[in-house]
Amino acid sequence: MENQSVKTKTKSNGITIKTLKNGIKSGLNTTWTLAKIIVTVYFIITFVKYTPLLDWIAIKCAPLMKIFGLPGEAAIALVLGNVINLYAAIGAIASLSLTAKQSTIIAVMLSFSHSLFMESAVAKKTGISVVLVLLIRFSLAIISGILLNLIL
Amino acid sequence: MLDFLSIFKEAFTGSMESVFTIAKIVIPLMIVMEVLKDLNVLDKLSDFLKPISKILGISKESTFPLIIGLFLGLAYGAGVIIKSVKDGDLRKRDLYLLIIFLVACHSVIEDTLIFVAIGANGWLLLGFRIIIAVVLTSLVARHIDKILIKSNNEIKKEVKE
Repeated sequence: MENQSVKTKTKSNGITIKTLKNGIKSGLNTTWTLAKIIVTVYFIITFVKYTPLLDWIAIKCAPLMKIFGLPGEAAIALVLGNVINLYAAIGAIASLSLTAKQSTIIAVMLSFSHSLFMESAVAKKTGISVVLVLLIRFSLAIISGILLNLIL
Repeated sequence: MLDFLSIFKEAFTGSMESVFTIAKIVIPLMIVMEVLKDLNVLDKLSDFLKPISKILGISKESTFPLIIGLFLGLAYGAGVIIKSVKDGDLRKRDLYLLIIFLVACHSVIEDTLIFVAIGANGWLLLGFRIIIAVVLTSLVARHIDKILIKSNNEIKKEVKE
């Protein structure tokens, strides 16, 4: 511990041109790392969006919506939010007429679990297992949906 | 038949816009980070945020990526994490805890406002999300050392076999 703090102190010489250079370099490196993921996933999702796959998933999920106190059509908003992003989900939610309670439930569920392809790919890059990430997000969304439907 | 070219064009412009948005935030963020590091401010900032790291059970070096992810978004938090892992500033334990917290709770301002716009209760949404993320992370923090040792042993076993 002590050793480490000595090391950081000797390393630091205040701000020099090297500070700026290092910053730009690691900024570009990080952007490149993220860009590779984002472009790949973005292309896949844009193509999936134009297939009937998402509608099909939504139809299959519709009966499940009852446990969250949501109408069956809310499934499409959940699917869009999880596969594409929150803005896509908002578009679908706007076309439903939800009560304040239902809006809050779907908002909490989506805020725990959304943009799964994009965000899991980014999280994986840090070295974490995607299965773990998905497990956490799905469980949080499902449990909080059921819970809020009971207590609100 | 779907118009392949127009979908391709949509994907191309959309993804380029996203990359540009990321670059606009990540490059200044990394410059600020280097400046803070060279001024030794990052250490002081981490000390200042120590109460947060204590509650969550993470090291104080983890608070900076946590705050970035919490307010700016998961990708930016992950960007800082990726860099910290490369620099050797983050232990595996902190990496797991950070990601567990951040996948549950990130870009809280933007995400909350989007849902307030459609009639959700913003305070309830934000409060619920933060409390759940804090509880989950601190719970995992208490048991993670055992889990990590176990999985390390399993890896060793596999290597031996």
